[in-house]
Order: sequence, then structure tokens, then C-alpha cells
Amino acid sequence: MPETTPWALALGQMALLVALGPLVTGLIQKLKARLQCRSGAGLLQPYSDLAKLFRKGSVRADTATSLFGAVPVLVLAATLSAAALVPVVYVAPQGSDGAVVPLGDAILLLGWLALGRFLTAAGALDAGGAFGGMGASREMTVATLVEPVLIVVAFSVAVAAGTTDLAGIVAHHTQGRHIFGAPDLLALFAMLVLLLAETGRIPVDNPDTHLELTMLHEGMLLEHSGPGLGCLVLAHHTKQIVVIALVQALFLPPMASSLSPRALAVAFLGFAGLTVVLALFLALIEASYAKLRFFRLPQFLGIGFVSAFLAAALRLL
Amino acid sequence: MRPDTGSSLMFAAYAVGAAAPIAAGWSTGVTRLLGHLGLLTGAVMGVWVAVLSLTQPDAPVVASGPALFPFAALSVSLDGLGAYFLLVISLVAVAAALFGPAYLRAHPTRSAAVEVAGINVFVASMALVVFAHDALTFLLAWEGMTLASYALVVAEGGEGNARAGLVYIAMAHAGTALLMGVFLLLVGRAESFDFYLIRQTAATLSDGERTLLFFLVLGGLAAKAGVVPLHVWLPLAHPAAPSHVSALMSGVMLKVAIYGVLRFGFDLLAPREGPLPPSWGWTVLILGATSSVLGVLYALQQHDLKRLLAFHSVENVGIILMGAGIALLLCRRGGACEVVAAVGLAAALLHTLNHAAFKGLLFLCAGSIQVATHLLNLEDLGGLGRRMPWTAWLFLLGAVAISALPPLNGFVSEWMTFQALVLGGAALKGAEGLAAIIAASALALTGGLAAACFVKAFGVTFLGRPRSSHAAEAVEVPLSMRAGMLLLAAVCVAVGVLPGPVLSLVDAPVRCLIGGPGLGALVTVRGPLVLSALGTDGGVTAVSTTAAAALFGALAVGVLAFVAWPRAAGRRLAPTWTCGMAPDSRFDYSATAFAKPLRFIFAALYQPKRTVERDTGVNPYVVRRLRWEGDVVDIAETQLYRRLLDGVMHVASAVRRRSTGSIHGYIGYVIGTLLLTLLAFGRA
Repeated sequence: MPETTPWALALGQMALLVALGPLVTGLIQKLKARLQCRSGAGLLQPYSDLAKLFRKGSVRADTATSLFGAVPVLVLAATLSAAALVPVVYVAPQGSDGAVVPLGDAILLLGWLALGRFLTAAGALDAGGAFGGMGASREMTVATLVEPVLIVVAFSVAVAAGTTDLAGIVAHHTQGRHIFGAPDLLALFAMLVLLLAETGRIPVDNPDTHLELTMLHEGMLLEHSGPGLGCLVLAHHTKQIVVIALVQALFLPPMASSLSPRALAVAFLGFAGLTVVLALFLALIEASYAKLRFFRLPQFLGIGFVSAFLAAALRLL
Repeated sequence: MRPDTGSSLMFAAYAVGAAAPIAAGWSTGVTRLLGHLGLLTGAVMGVWVAVLSLTQPDAPVVASGPALFPFAALSVSLDGLGAYFLLVISLVAVAAALFGPAYLRAHPTRSAAVEVAGINVFVASMALVVFAHDALTFLLAWEGMTLASYALVVAEGGEGNARAGLVYIAMAHAGTALLMGVFLLLVGRAESFDFYLIRQTAATLSDGERTLLFFLVLGGLAAKAGVVPLHVWLPLAHPAAPSHVSALMSGVMLKVAIYGVLRFGFDLLAPREGPLPPSWGWTVLILGATSSVLGVLYALQQHDLKRLLAFHSVENVGIILMGAGIALLLCRRGGACEVVAAVGLAAALLHTLNHAAFKGLLFLCAGSIQVATHLLNLEDLGGLGRRMPWTAWLFLLGAVAISALPPLNGFVSEWMTFQALVLGGAALKGAEGLAAIIAASALALTGGLAAACFVKAFGVTFLGRPRSSHAAEAVEVPLSMRAGMLLLAAVCVAVGVLPGPVLSLVDAPVRCLIGGPGLGALVTVRGPLVLSALGTDGGVTAVSTTAAAALFGALAVGVLAFVAWPRAAGRRLAPTWTCGMAPDSRFDYSATAFAKPLRFIFAALYQPKRTVERDTGVNPYVVRRLRWEGDVVDIAETQLYRRLLDGVMHVASAVRRRSTGSIHGYIGYVIGTLLLTLLAFGRA
């Protein structure tokens, strides 16, 4: 296989995820509105919001450093890099010499997302208001609790596949060597708990809130405006769909077996279907629960840790 | 020039540097310049010798020195392991030598002679430890390292530094005593100080003796490496020294102890064939996991920048030990285990280099802040990013690297440690495999906490508004200091983006310790691009940090071009929104506040103390004045050392009660002891 194909594949799937990211947000908002007996905004509202933000001018805090302008750029770049790593509809088959696509490691993917979060939090402290600091402090606290669980979930799958490479994990699934059993079920449950935390939704965070004291992620974005804010919002949409795609890649990958248009279309429909199911899950939880008190979160995420740990234990014992 | 000539020149340069105060005693400035010039020359020679020995392993350095005693000659040699650690030592020493003179001019200690003699002897002793080929040289160099660093810790004077020095030297000597005991046992059997004969003798030991000796050595080395619970000296001593010496102590001196662990575990005490006792690997792994989690948890609650960094050294030593532990556990077991052991050992070695680079960088940044503001308390800093952009960006780079985030070096070595733990877990299966996965989740927790800690450290120091007049008037440090920081920053970027060539340097020590084909056969280094480790059953795990970094860079440039594209609506500056009040520095989030949620969540461990005094006047709802005081105490200090101290004091007071002051009583005690001793041991 020529060396350019992995790049084209990675960039193509990245473009797909970036293009669909706002749509997923729109879908969740719409579903949530319907569940609350409202008509809600159109599915394409997030695209209009982005277009508006990118056209606008920007206001910068007069105390901010040069980092403040760099943060949205670096955060979006890191999130896009993560998007290039997750297989969506197709993975290149492993070569006979064991050579694989050099992009696609699960730990690297989590690393890029963590870099995005690190820089967003640092940028939030730049303007020097209490809201940014509060958001950053809480976001980093949640992240320290989420990250070990994510790693254990990934490892419980990786132990079976013998690799942390997502392409390898997907190949392990699609070649029928993997039977969906109790460990997968437990790990999937843990992953769904984490999905709520990673996408910043109720009960961990409230994306709709405008009360400063209750927000985590929104609090960090408070001082950004115009194109910078647009970058951060787009990064958030992309991160959401990346995590959704990661759930699928780890457990139920709908992958095409070849690059023929028919197979790709089938795989894409599978991806879209599963994404709608996960979006419905997020919307259902968001419409039927309240945000948890911040210091109750360790217990909530603890459920995830216990089931992820049990999944790993079942796999090994 | 051959490596052995280079080594001689290196030690000669250090000697000249140490002798600078004699030659140039009339001027403090010239003494400093000359001393650091010697250090720089020696360190550059050291880097050169190390790289030469690592890339051409067939030209080993062996030399015997003068016979100090009739029964023991001093001898030195440099194998792959020694050369790699020499590289780490010398690299940070170059940066320290560049940084030192300007730093000391702005922030002098009591005596320039102690500064330059101390730092040269310190670095030369560390180099001599990795060169040592017999027990006597090793112990002498080890002691030189301790004494020279002690002199530097107390160089600034003052009550706090004296106490730090006392704790440090007591702990260091307790460790040295253990090492000395082990060496005496081995030397007695081998009837020689030479490492070659010691190794031969150790191969004949029984398993029980071998394990006992290893644990004694591990205790001695752990005290030097700052492993929990023997770390209490570290957060005292490292901040007390001048900053470039802190960089050396934290970035390098702890690694010399790691060198000892590897040297004893894989080499000197190892049986001739068959796997190493499993208790070694598990002990090292568990110590590593504990140190990393506790180290970073305590780091989070520190508000003194250098103290915070010192606690992070405890954490990173833990991470290195995790890699070393899994390697000790799996090496010589055949099959997939061998491969994973090689990856674990390579991860430990690479993290040794990486930690030296980013921790050195961060300590030098802390030194710059000290020069610019004479402050280290995070709560008094703030807003330095606008006045010191170089230091700010370099600190951010170090912070990203130490938080193990791509695309920098910390990520590469932690990725390899993760691989070793997960694939090792898969290879071990059962409860042992699960333990490896638990260690992996401890590592993930450590990474997350480190990121939180460095968002705090960076944000509170460099962003927002200045919270003191010193911080408001800070100016950027001179070029020579920035050069030292830039060198280490370049290492962080290079290892992160191009791990391939650096891993080829790790190959020699891995081959030297666990034999076989080394890492080259196991890890495919496709050009500079792909770093991949063969896992179980032919599975492959690969990551190309080069490709990932290139992608990241290209995307960042693209996004920047899009954002910076001129728009009709312009940009403007405005004050931060603070709900309509006039913003000042009291609106900024403080370090204490930032770490508060984690202090709350981990309260069982921290047991935080706080006192709040409220002055409310007539109306209880209107607070006129509020005084808050909070503190987090190290659990090792309260649970272990305080109790130990109480026990000692208790015994001492019991003894004092029986000391009557009458000579007859004492003679009675002496005769009683003599009688008991004769009864117990006098039979034969």
C-alpha cells in the first residue's frame, strides 16, 4: 500500500468528523427540545452559530498575554489531530510485515484531547477573572477523575486485542476473533458514564447554563469572543463526535471491509445509526436528570471506574 | 580523540573549575565565570564521550587509578548503562553552566568559592559514580556527591536552609550506610572491591541472601532517589539550593540512584541465569506506583514553586521505577515477556532523560522568576507572562512535557511505560496481570493530576494580574540564562518529535542489562518516523509522534491563518468582565483556590487543617474582616516520622530516668552488659 493512503484516510475521516460534529450537537439539542415538548432550534443551528462567530470581531481582556490568542488555535489543532486518529468507516488492513498506519493509537488520541483541555484551562486563567479560574479548576478536577477510567476502559479492550492501536482493535473486532461478552458490556457501561463527562453534559456539566457558578466548560470560554470563541466551540463539537466515534471503535465498529463505494456507504450508515442512538442516549439523560452537585461527581465517576475495573479483571482472570 | 582521553579531559575540566577560587580568589565575578567555564567544558566533554560510547560500543573506557590502600585500587570503566547516565548528567550540567553565572550574580549565596567548587565537585562525583568499577570508587564518589550537594544546599545560609541540610544529610547518610553494609558483605566474600569479582561472587549466593541484599540496597538507593516514604528530605533540600543546582539535584542526582537500582538489580546481584526473583520487580513496581501518585498529590497542594517542582520529582522517580519494575519482573522469562521487559526498561531509561530535561527546564524557569521577582510563592506572583514572555513560553513547554501530553517528550516515555504495563499485564494474566493494569491506571491518574497541577502552577504564576509589586516590576532575564533554558527545551521537543534516533541511544544500556538482541530487534524504528513495539502474539502497537506532531503543526498553522485573516469587524481590548466591579488582582483565582476541589476530594489523604477567624461586628451576615489559614501536612511525616521521633524520645526519656548520675550505677550497667554479651556470644 502506498505511503500516502494512510494519510488520505486519516485526513478524510477527520474532515468527515469535523463536518458532522456540529450536526450531532444540533441533533442532541433538537431531541432534547422535543423531549421537553418544545419545538427547539433547527438541526443546522450550530453551523449558523459558528458562521456568525467566525464573521465577528473579537474583544480581548486588557490583561491577557500572547497565550490568549494562541489558545483557540492550538486547542482546535489538538482536537483535529485527535479526530484524525479515530477510525470512522474504514481502516487499512494490517500488512504482512505487521506494518500499520502510524496514526491511530488510543493513548495518543486521549493525549491530544488532554492537551486541548490543558490549554483551554490555562487560557481561562489568562483573562484574570474568577469565573475562568473556577471553570479551569473544576474542569481539571473532573479530568483527573475521568482520565484513569478512560485508560482502564481502553486497556480492558486492548488486553484482548494485544494492542492499544485503534486500527488493531477494530481489526480484532471485524475479523470475528472477538465475542461480545460480559467484559465488553461492563466496559461499554463505563464508557457511557464517561461519555457524559467527556462531552460536558448533564449530570456532569450543563451546556445550556448561563449561571456562571454552575458551568465548567462554558466558564472557561467566557472571555473568548469572535473567531477565537468559534474555534473553541468547533473544537468542542469535534471532541464530542470524536468521543462518540471512540465508543464505536472500541466496542461496535461498523467498518467497511473494502474501499468500494457500496461498502463505505453501508459502513457510514452504520456509523450514522449508532451516532443517532448515542445522541438519543445523551439527550434522554439530559432531559430527565438534573446536574449533580460538583462534589458528588467522584461517586458518579466511581461507578464508571468500578465497572471498567471489573471489565479488566474479567478479561484477565 | 578516544573516549578515554575525553573522559580524562572531562574530569580535568571539572578539577580546574573547582580550583577556580584559588586562581581567581580576588574577584567574585571572575571566580564564578571561570568555575562555570570549567563546568561547561567538562559537561560538553561528557556529552561527547557518552554519545561516542553509546554509538560505538566496541570502544569501552577502562582505566585503573592510584591505589589508595594496599588492598584496593581505584578503577573506572564505562559501559552502555554508565554512558547513558553520563549523557543525562552532562546534558543538564551544560544547561546549568550556562544559566549559573548570571543567576548567581542576581541572587548570590554567601561565598562564590563554595558555589563553584561545590557545583564542579558535585557534577564530577555524579559522573564518577557511573564510571566506578569497584566498590571503593563507587562509595567515595557517592559520598562526594552527597557532601558537595549538602554544601550547596546550605550555601545561602539561614535557619530554613540549615534545617533542610540537616534532614538531607541525615537521610543521605542512612542510605549510604545501607549501601556500605551491602558492599562490605559482598567484598568480604569476593575478597576484592572489583565489580567483576563481586558479580562472580554474587552469582553463587542463595536466593534468600540475594533478595535480602537487594532489599537493603534498594532501601539505601530509595533514600537518595526520594521514593515515598523516604522522600521527606527532598521538598526541603531541593528548594533550598540555588536554582541551577536544584535543577541538577532534581533532574540528575535522583537519576544516579536510579542508576544504582538498575546496576544492582540487573547486573551486580543478578543470578547467573534464570529469572530474577519476582519479589524484586513487584517491590519496585509498587514503590513506583505509590511514589508517583502520592508525589503528585502533594505537589498539587504546594504554593512554593520550587517545593512544588520537588514533589513532582518524587512523582517522576515513581514513573521511572514503574518501567524498571515491570522490566525486573519480566526479563529473562522468555517469549513475549522478554520483549515487554525491553520496552519497560527502555521506557524507564527514556523517562530518566526526559525528566532530566523538563524538570531541569522548569527549575531554571523558577530560577528566572527568582531573579526577576525574588519571590517563589505562587500567591504573590501572577501576570509574569506579559513581562517575561520567554520564561513564560518555556515554562509552558516544560509544563506540557511534564504532564505527558503530546507532542513533547514526556508523552513518548509515558506511552512506552503504558505499553509495557498493558502488554505485560496481558502476558502475565491472572491476578498479576490485573496488578499491572492497576499500576497503569495509577499512571493515568498521575498524568491527570500532573496536568491539573501545572495548569495551576503556570496559570497562577504567569497569567492574570500581578499580585505584588515585585511581580509587577519583573523584567525578562538575560540571554545567557535563557540559553540554558532553551537548550533543555530543545531536548524536550526533539525527543518528543523524533524519538527514533534517541531510542537508538537507549539500545546500548538495554543490551548491556538484559542481554539478547537489545531494543533494536524488538522495537522497529522506521527512520525517524515510527516507534513501534511488538506486543503479544505478533500484535503491533505503533505510534508515530513525528507524523502526529507534523499533523498538529500543519493544522495549527492552517487554523491560525484562518483566524488571523483580516475581518471587517476589528479587534479591541477591554477590561475583564467582573460583574460590573472594577477588576483588580484580587479577582484572580489563587493557587489555593484552584487546588481546593482536589483537596476536598482527597481529604482523607491530605487531612487538611484550617482555621478561620471571622470578625462580623453587629450584623452576623456582614463580614468585616476574615482571616483564613490552611495547611496540608505530608502523611509520611505525620504517620511515620513523627511516630518514629516520638518512639525515640520515649526511649530516650526512659533511659534518662535510669541515668542516676552515680558512677556506681554506670559501672553496674557496664558489667551487666559485659556479662550478657559473654553469655550470648562467648561460648565458642
